Parts: sequence; structure tokens; C-alpha cells
Amino acid sequence: MATKKLTRIGLSQDLCDRLSRHQVVTCQDFLCLSPLELMKVTGQSYQGVSELLYVVSRACAPQMQTAYEMKLEKSGGPSSAFLATTLISLDEALHGGVACGSLTEITGPSGCGKTQFCMMMSVLATLPTGMGGLEGAVIYIDTESAFSAERLIRIAEFRFPSFFNTEEKLLSMSSKIHLYKELTCNEVLKRIESLEEEIISNRVKLLIIDSVASVVRKEFDTQLQGNMRERSNFLAREASLLKYLAEEFSIIVILTNQITTHLSRDLTTQADLVSPADDLSLWGGTSGSSCVTAALGNTWSHCVNTRLILQNLESKRRQIVIAKSPLAPFSIFNYTIEEAGLVLQDAEGD
Amino acid sequence: MGTSRFPPSIWGGDRKRSAEPLSQLLLRLMSLRGRGLWFRRPERIPDAWAGSGSPTSPSPRAVELLFAAMQRHLGSYPLSPGVRVKLVSAGFQTAEELLELKPSELSREVGISKEEALETLQIIKRECPVDLSRFASVSISGKKYTALELLEQEHTQGFIITFCSALDNIMGGGIPLTKTTEICGAPGVGKTQLCMQLAVDVQIPECFGGVAGEAIFLDTEGSFMVDRVADLATACVQHLHLIAGSHLEEEHQKALENFSLESILSHIYYFRCHNYTELLAQVHLLPDFLLEHSKVQLIIVDGIAFPFRHDFDDLSLRTRLLNGLAQQLISMANNHKLAVIWTNQMTTKIDKNQSMLVPALGESWGHAATIRLILHWDQKQSRLATLHKSPSQKEATVLFDITAQGFRDVVVPSPLSPPVEPSGNPRKRSRDGREEE
Repeated sequence: MATKKLTRIGLSQDLCDRLSRHQVVTCQDFLCLSPLELMKVTGQSYQGVSELLYVVSRACAPQMQTAYEMKLEKSGGPSSAFLATTLISLDEALHGGVACGSLTEITGPSGCGKTQFCMMMSVLATLPTGMGGLEGAVIYIDTESAFSAERLIRIAEFRFPSFFNTEEKLLSMSSKIHLYKELTCNEVLKRIESLEEEIISNRVKLLIIDSVASVVRKEFDTQLQGNMRERSNFLAREASLLKYLAEEFSIIVILTNQITTHLSRDLTTQADLVSPADDLSLWGGTSGSSCVTAALGNTWSHCVNTRLILQNLESKRRQIVIAKSPLAPFSIFNYTIEEAGLVLQDAEGD
Repeated sequence: MGTSRFPPSIWGGDRKRSAEPLSQLLLRLMSLRGRGLWFRRPERIPDAWAGSGSPTSPSPRAVELLFAAMQRHLGSYPLSPGVRVKLVSAGFQTAEELLELKPSELSREVGISKEEALETLQIIKRECPVDLSRFASVSISGKKYTALELLEQEHTQGFIITFCSALDNIMGGGIPLTKTTEICGAPGVGKTQLCMQLAVDVQIPECFGGVAGEAIFLDTEGSFMVDRVADLATACVQHLHLIAGSHLEEEHQKALENFSLESILSHIYYFRCHNYTELLAQVHLLPDFLLEHSKVQLIIVDGIAFPFRHDFDDLSLRTRLLNGLAQQLISMANNHKLAVIWTNQMTTKIDKNQSMLVPALGESWGHAATIRLILHWDQKQSRLATLHKSPSQKEATVLFDITAQGFRDVVVPSPLSPPVEPSGNPRKRSRDGREEE
């Protein structure tokens, strides 16, 4: 909408030609000029320019909806608003599961189950709606080459043995998962930009990027001057593209992140720097002079809407924490990884 | 030059010439210009002044008449003779020349006292029916107030309560109307929750202490969750029902009849802006929207930082656009007497090997809002709100909490309650920590 060309919104051809001579071609260019500049460029009086501004703003402003209308829309199709993770207490806390139309991040140290979680969600998304799935395809962008198709099949078999009883069903499920391997930041960004057609033609309902952090941390070294800014720019651009896709097509977006150690000598300032949404050391882990946080910094923490942190407690016990969510308070659940993927242990969970 | 104010009519004949066509009047005025003669002021301001033009683009006729008025000879004004003589000997002939000067300059140049100079200028300005600022745009809000009038206004001014009484107290009653408030905070601390709470609280009926207004929500980050707002609204309705139950007055019950979940949600007007262009466009269109929906008392921009923090190589353009946005929001707050709130992100500033969190969008953005509220965590993972900048309240920090019902005070458990078992729930853990203090 912002890049709508001025020629299409009903301005006179004359005026459009005049504007294009000054490189003002889209609505965005028009709105970035101050009224004085507009008067010079269009040759109109202040009154005329105000009217033009009104016309251009009308052409690219968003539509209004009251909150009530939004609620009615949502309750019209409750099944498509969330994807239940089948971890029951987690779903309850999140008011249904992983939400459509917003970004959900899974973060944690290596080996605690992030990729397993992603694979589990891929299986769930392909299930028919009667069983709690979305009956759609999945796009899986893999940057670490961690995806294992065999593990996917095993998760499906063990989790829903009654449904996936024939090989045919397993094959059809795996054909709905579209895998892309991208290894650099630019490739990832280009891939996201080109996803729109895939989403529409394949009826994709779930987009997974595993992992966002690995490509970014390979290419941007934050010790170097200027890299911090570039990294934030890149991440913000990626986040806004993903948000646009999530909202426009009402799909679920799951991203994985890594963790980083934040070495700080002064414990008292820790709390200022790191919110519980980032700080893993709070949740029953070890605390020391260093604190462990989700990677990619503050900007990225602002961009994601929901953050789930996976942690190892001891050899077999692990925890999943809801660290940031607009719907749920802080909660902790214990889980283990089994053949069927992640399984909650209700005994000590919240 | 005669000394009487109304010399014999130079048109001859009947003085009451109100039906004289304007074109003829104009011709006469123009022809008399150079002669230094008195001419009669029209008894009625011609309609051309108020005619087809506006102050910013006056109609051609008004221009001619104004020109005529500017060229009016000084002698035709009711000035005291001594002053007039001095003005003429200083070389002033027409009104136009005089009006370019300030009273102090005039008094110096002509040799009259400052009071006389001020009086002279006032007389001349009074005679001219149109604002003489050379067709500069007349600002409606450029009215003059005395501090007493403002004091009266401030006393009757409403506040939007946040349901956290500690926060309301340090802010002097809540979020004030006619002012802009900025809410900064780290991710996950509760900025969007506070915005959603306020969108519900602005609708509280007046007999319960609210402002009974509607809300506009401009969302740039996509964090508005309808289900959560529905929860907040339900909790608010229940809360008010409890209060109304204890008051036996009719008006409370009646006010509550219209205050239901449906009506609350229908009066939150939601716009999803995906980038800064859409945000700018929508803010341009808001004044018209406000004319149609005159009960709006709150504008929320959730995430003013997000669309401006990427895609901008030209920082000066960003500053200009942000300032323009802030100006428009401030003028809407003043003209329509509503509250404007926007949320800002925090960014890490690296300063001599030490990093700290500061509000995003730079130093200059700090001047845009009148009131700045910073939400943050403390060591025990409780949430704090600091009033960082306010013209009338002093800097203070309070604890707050976000419960299933929404934004609330922190509930300090009484010492008689049984000790809470430490469990995995960190919220309970933090409360324990405070008890031990």
C-alpha cells in the first residue's frame, strides 16, 4: 500500500508527471515531503496541498476495524486461530496454542529440543482439523541442516499411531512439508520475500525458520563497529516481513534462536539489562557472574510476540518456560524428549 | 486636514450608502488614495472580507480591499494630533509602513513614548478587519490564556485511570487528557498490556470516575490481542458491578447498562499500520475521523519506534517525519482535548565498554512527549514503573503487576496469611522475596 503509485489513485496525469520529474512516484515519496516542499513541487497553494495530502493519505491508510468486529471474526473460526501443541498444560496457558498472525520464538541451549519441537509442530500442522491440526502445508527453512526426515516419520508414527497407520498417509504428510536450505542471511531474506506465491499455491499454514540466529551470528560480528546497527536493521527487516506474512495469510510462524552468555561483572546492573524474557538463569538454572540470555539482542526481543525458552535441568529433565507472551503469565512446564517428540510431565509442571 | 471625525461626505448626497456596489466603492477608494483626504469608513464591513476566500487564500476582492486599507493614509485614523504630526514628520504615510514596526522601535524612531506607540499601533490594527499577518495560516489554537484560566481548566481536566492506584497517584490521577505520554520499556514488561488496559479504562462512565470516551488504537507491531482485551474488559465490567452494588444510587446502575463487553469492544477503533507510510497517512486522516467520532478521548500508537527503526538510511528524514508526527499528535491532543499515548522500545547503547538500555529513536525524540513513563524490572523480577519526565509531578517509582484481570497494583500479602510454598512459579517466588525483606 505504501508503494502504491500515484498514478493509480486518481490524481491528474499532469500532476503525476510533474511529481515524477521530482522523483516522487509512490505514496511513500509523497508523504515523506514536508508541506513546503510539496508546494514547490506541485506549484499549488497550501490549501491545494492539504487537499492532495488528504487524497494520498486516503489511498494508503489502513482500514478501520472495531475490536468487536475483530472478536467476531476470530470466534467465527476458532480452530484456525491457534495450533494446539498437544502439550496440554502449555496449550491452556497460551489460550489455545501457538497463535496465528504473530511471531513465536523457541530459544534455548543446544540439544534441548528446539528442532524436535519444530518437527513436531510440522506434523501437527498437516493433520486434519478434526484432530487439532490445520490441514495445510508447512514451509521449513533450515539453516543448520538439522532437519531429519526419518525422525519426522518416527514422531508421526509414535504420536498418532492410529492415524498414521498406513505408509501412504505418512508419505502424503511428508510431501506437504517443503524444505529449503539457506545458508546466508541474504538468501534467507530473499527466500522470505519470495514466499508469498508458495503460501498461496500450496495452502501453507505454518512457516518455520530453524534457526534465525545461526546465519546472523555467522555473518555479523558485533564486536566490530557498525555491525551492531546493520544486524539490527537486518533483523528488523526480517521481522517486519515475517509479521506481514503472518498477518496477511493468517499463518503460524515459528522461529528458533540460540542463546548467548552475557558476561557482566556487576550483578546489580544485570536486571536493568536483561528482562526475564531473556534471562535463562532465573528458571532454575545456575546463576553466576555471567548470565545467559537469548541471542540476537534487544531489538529482536521486541520483534517477537511470544517467546518460549527450553532448558535442561538435569540429565533427562527439561523445562519449557513461557517467557514472553501477551496472553499468558510466566509459567514453567517440565518435559522430556521421547520417541513421540516432546512430552509433558504433569507431575511437577505448573 | 480636518479635525472632525466625520467630514462632509465626499460622495455627496446621502451618507447611508450601504448599498453601494463594491466595485464602485473600490474605485472611489483607489482614486482618493493619493489625495490625502478623509474618506468615510464603511459602516459595515463589506462581505467580501468574509467572502469566498479563507484566510489562507483570500478571494481577489478581499485582496483589493485589504490593499486599499493598507494604503490608507495615516491621517484618516483617529490618532492624537501630536502623535500624528510626529509620525508624518518621521516620514510615515500609510498604515502599511507603520505595521511593520514593533512598539519599541516605533517609539524610538518617532520620538513618542512606548505607551503612545502601542496605542497607535492598536488603533491601526483595530481598523483593519483581516488578520494582517500577510495571509499566513491563521492558527485556531493560537489563543491566549492566562494562567488562571488554565488552572481552572486543569482542575476540571479528566484523567484516564490505569487501575493501578500507585501508578495513578504518582501521575496525579492517571493519564492526563490534552497531553502526550510516552511509555518506554524492555520487551515483555507490559507496554502493550498497559495500552490495552487504557483502551478499556477510557470508556468507564463518569459516575465511576472515568471519562466515558472512546479509543483509537494504531498498531504497528501486531501485538494487539483481541482475546486479551476481552478478558480485560470483562474484568473491568465485573469490578464496576461490584462498586455499583455497594452504591444504591440509580445513576450507577443505569450507567452500567450500557457498559458491557460488546459496547467496550465496539468503541475501540483499531488500525493496523504495516509501515511508516501507512502510519503517517492514518495520522493525516485522524482529524477528520475525530470529527465524525467526537467521543474519542484517547489515541494509542503502539509501537511508534518499530516502523522507523529499519529501512531508514536517511536519519534526518526520520527525525523530520517523527517530529512532524509528534506535532500532529500534540495538536490533536490540544484541539480535541484527548490523551495521546505512544510506546517506545529500548535499545542498547554502548558507552565506553558499558552498555545500558535507553529509549530508542534518539535523544531528540525525548523532547516530543510531555510525560515519559519507563517500565522496567528490578532484581527480584517485579515490574517497576518510573515516572521519568512530567511537568507537574515529581519523579517516582512504583511497583505494578499484570494479572489475569489486567494491569493492577501489586498485592502485598498480609503477614497473617500462611507462608506460600516455594514452587516453580516465579511470580510466587518474587512475592516471597519481598516478604523476606
